[in-house]
Amino acid sequence: MEQFFYSLTGLRWQDVLDILLNSYILFRLYVLFRGTRVIRALQAVIIFWAAGQAAVSLGLIITNWAMQGVITVAAIIIIVVFRNEISSVLLTKDLKSFLWGIPKYQFKTPVHIIAETVFDLAPRKIGALIILPSKQDIASMVQGGISIEAKLSQELLTSIFWGENPLHDGAVVIQGDRIKSAGEILPLSKRQDLPSSFGTRHRAGLGLSELTDAMVIVVSEERGVVTLFKKDQIHTIRSRSALEKKLREHAGDGPSKKGFQHPSVKITAAAAICLFCITGLWFSFSKGMEAFATHEIPVEFINPNQRMEIVSTSASNVKLVISGAKPLLNTVRPEMIDVKLNLSKAVVGTNTVLISKENIMLPPGVRLRTVTPPELEVSLDTLVVKELPVQPHWTGNLPDGLIMKQARAIPPMVRVTGRGLILNEIHTVYTESLPLDKLTDSGQLETSLVLENPSLSLNTGRKIQVEYQIVRKPG
Amino acid sequence: MKKILSGKLPIGLTTFLILILTASPPARSEETQQKTVLVRAEMCEAIENYKPVNPAVVFSIALGEVYCFTSFDPVVEKTVIFHKWYKRDRLIFTMRLTLSPPKWSSFSRIQIRDADKGPWRVEIWDENGSLFETLRFSMTD
Repeated sequence: MEQFFYSLTGLRWQDVLDILLNSYILFRLYVLFRGTRVIRALQAVIIFWAAGQAAVSLGLIITNWAMQGVITVAAIIIIVVFRNEISSVLLTKDLKSFLWGIPKYQFKTPVHIIAETVFDLAPRKIGALIILPSKQDIASMVQGGISIEAKLSQELLTSIFWGENPLHDGAVVIQGDRIKSAGEILPLSKRQDLPSSFGTRHRAGLGLSELTDAMVIVVSEERGVVTLFKKDQIHTIRSRSALEKKLREHAGDGPSKKGFQHPSVKITAAAAICLFCITGLWFSFSKGMEAFATHEIPVEFINPNQRMEIVSTSASNVKLVISGAKPLLNTVRPEMIDVKLNLSKAVVGTNTVLISKENIMLPPGVRLRTVTPPELEVSLDTLVVKELPVQPHWTGNLPDGLIMKQARAIPPMVRVTGRGLILNEIHTVYTESLPLDKLTDSGQLETSLVLENPSLSLNTGRKIQVEYQIVRKPG
Repeated sequence: MKKILSGKLPIGLTTFLILILTASPPARSEETQQKTVLVRAEMCEAIENYKPVNPAVVFSIALGEVYCFTSFDPVVEKTVIFHKWYKRDRLIFTMRLTLSPPKWSSFSRIQIRDADKGPWRVEIWDENGSLFETLRFSMTD
């Protein structure tokens, strides 16, 4: 759970965009294919995928392998078997409805004209076969028809099924308020359990309804009975009002649905489900693809006292082990990581500074695992002036019988500027080597001071005088 | 009355403490107001008859040893002092010496070798961490 919340806080804007974009793609696929058998097949694939994921989490190797195989094969099968539905969706929609609109497949069909015509033909035992396509394209399912492209009217429809009309044996396709074609030949159903009263016209109507989501109205020529076929279902229609009701339901003009059945609620719910599924998928992928990486990052020291300067640090780089989604880690470069140590509370001398998560700025979605070293020693110092005594540095030997009784530098003290820590360890400034071998009498000589640490500087010149007193050894 | 104390250090240093009583103890009221005073401090080649021989600021390593002689007058109460020997700024050793009233002389000694050439100093400290004096000298060829 903690990891989940961490993942939420570590979301980048790219991750949010990723989730929203793919949710919308899934939602569009649902919108475009809803009501078709492709959606049902895709649902099956999703169930297989979920089963595969469950198998992975349970460690069922063979089951997972089998599920992956089924999904792979199913994807190919879906494309092959449902190529007509897919092509009809891809080819018949304009770009706007493909990317944005919520297509309403229902057309404003004048159902009363159809119902009136059907129940005008039925008593007269004039056979009729009327197709009302829904969302699926039926072009590939029917053949041999004659294009009519005429406005629907009772007279025209009646005349088509009139016994003397050459087109009367075929089916009429009505889309919206227009008769698209007539004389269409339909695929026949191969069902064996049909009533004996059903003839070829019924078998054709049932055949098309089995393969598509179209509604087919059949008027029996022998009995004058009106039969309605939709999605393998057979309804005998006894009244004009009943037919109108069925037609309105098919056309989407039925009584307004409430609650979850309301179209807008269904679309909203579908969008929410798509978002939920893609979000879950995203987290599943990002967690499943978690990887580790190691980066060596230079440490940046911030907010030091202006009077202080950093003399030394135990390390200038730290090694960070980070984790996160593999694709994300692949994009992480050392420049994207900052390690900043706050020295506002540091004092002169050696400070031990702990390196915590607060000191490390990582890109969103990346998690810190370990830091090596976990702490740094930082030595700070300030520039100070110190007054130091001067001592002559004699070398060689005085001639025999002589001793140097006294020696003093002029001036005896000098001011030296340098870091406090260094100057704390220095108590004397020495002259350069002063050879004794040629000194026989007391006197004074000029020499230079030597500062062993190059960071130190003398506030006055390096030249000084040394006054010395040489005497003969008694006895 | 004369007392001589001696001891031996691991590094070969021998210390002699010389007590020379030349005056009777001062009155009690004066004693509380007086301080122990360093009256003489010298580097020298030897100690003879409790006095420094050939005090100097340059010593040849051929001598083999160098002495730091200190004399205190008065010594108010029994106390200790320290002779801290430095080669450049590196402390080589510290000698703890005891002083007793009414006055006292003491010295510390170091044996010198070829590697000891260079500038040296001896700091003379009391037990409270106050510096009496610094003696500076060089060890040469």
